[in-house]
Amino acid sequence: MASERQIAANRANARKSSGPRSSAGKSRASRNAYRHGLSLSVGTNAPLAPQLETLARKIAGNAVDAITLERAREIAQAEFDLARVRRAKVALIESARACAAADRPPMPPQDPDQSAEAVRRVLPDLRKLDRYERRAAVQRDRAVFGFYGREKFSNNPKL
Amino acid sequence: MRRRNELAVLPKLPLLITESADEFDALRDAFEQEIKPRGIIEQMYVHDFCSIVWEILRLRRGRAAIVNAAFRDALVHVLTECLTKPGKLQLDLDDQVQTLALAWFKNEQGKKRVAKTLNESGFDEYAIEGEAIRRSSSALELLNRMLASLEARRDKALRCIGDYRDGWGRQLRGLSDRMIEGQDVPVLVHASSEESAA
Repeated sequence: MASERQIAANRANARKSSGPRSSAGKSRASRNAYRHGLSLSVGTNAPLAPQLETLARKIAGNAVDAITLERAREIAQAEFDLARVRRAKVALIESARACAAADRPPMPPQDPDQSAEAVRRVLPDLRKLDRYERRAAVQRDRAVFGFYGREKFSNNPKL
Repeated sequence: MRRRNELAVLPKLPLLITESADEFDALRDAFEQEIKPRGIIEQMYVHDFCSIVWEILRLRRGRAAIVNAAFRDALVHVLTECLTKPGKLQLDLDDQVQTLALAWFKNEQGKKRVAKTLNESGFDEYAIEGEAIRRSSSALELLNRMLASLEARRDKALRCIGDYRDGWGRQLRGLSDRMIEGQDVPVLVHASSEESAA
């Protein structure tokens, strides 16, 4: 058990390290929890806005009322969220492929296909991304069935 | 032309450098001929379906890579078991095993030498494969879970198309009933498929 002196020292040390003080440090620390940003919707991504709007209008068809358009936007947004997770997966495999090419063990004749080997290396990470992909797909399906005013999706256990 | 326009507004499936865009397009064309999607929503689901199938194929190739990656260690393990004899120096044993393992990967002659060594101890080449699978069982299990998840989502995408068509059909039936009865005709929500349905 820590003595009174140790406890006091620990408290004094803790007071000294209470996080970054400069604005640059604070800015960096604010992104400590940031991993891949996949939990954020692409709706927050301004460069994608025109593509999102094009798809939403295509989905809405001739409908011009705001509610229909907004629901069509939900579908488009979920579709782009799904595509973004797929892009993240491909980027992950590609980076592993690049690393694998650098440190491959010297057994070339039966060397498996490079990409397949990369998939093997990043399998646990791909599994984690799978969760985000499933979530985006569910959101898209809900939006689609909500768009057509159907309750079936949320009640149907097979979906 | 209409199909191309619809596909252009959908986000493209990113492919690996080693994958062929033509092969993916051929796969999607084959599914489109079967499913015959109408309207952007059905196109979206068919695209999703193809993307999932593509990923399943990618992961299946990964399954072979998993076993192949464990093959060298498995080979060394099996050879060590075969060549271990009482009184034999560990250094000599390691040397012999490494030489044979390397020979396996070099040419057919090397493979025959390894096969002969295995046969002398009552093993065959399947012993190496079995050991490789045993060593990679946790990775294979993870891969199988991912494949199962993808297969469930693939089936769900198909069901979504069916449900969507079902709902669209009911809307049309309701509309035609109201028209026949001379009631006010509301605007169909399913506006995006009007062109294709016409």
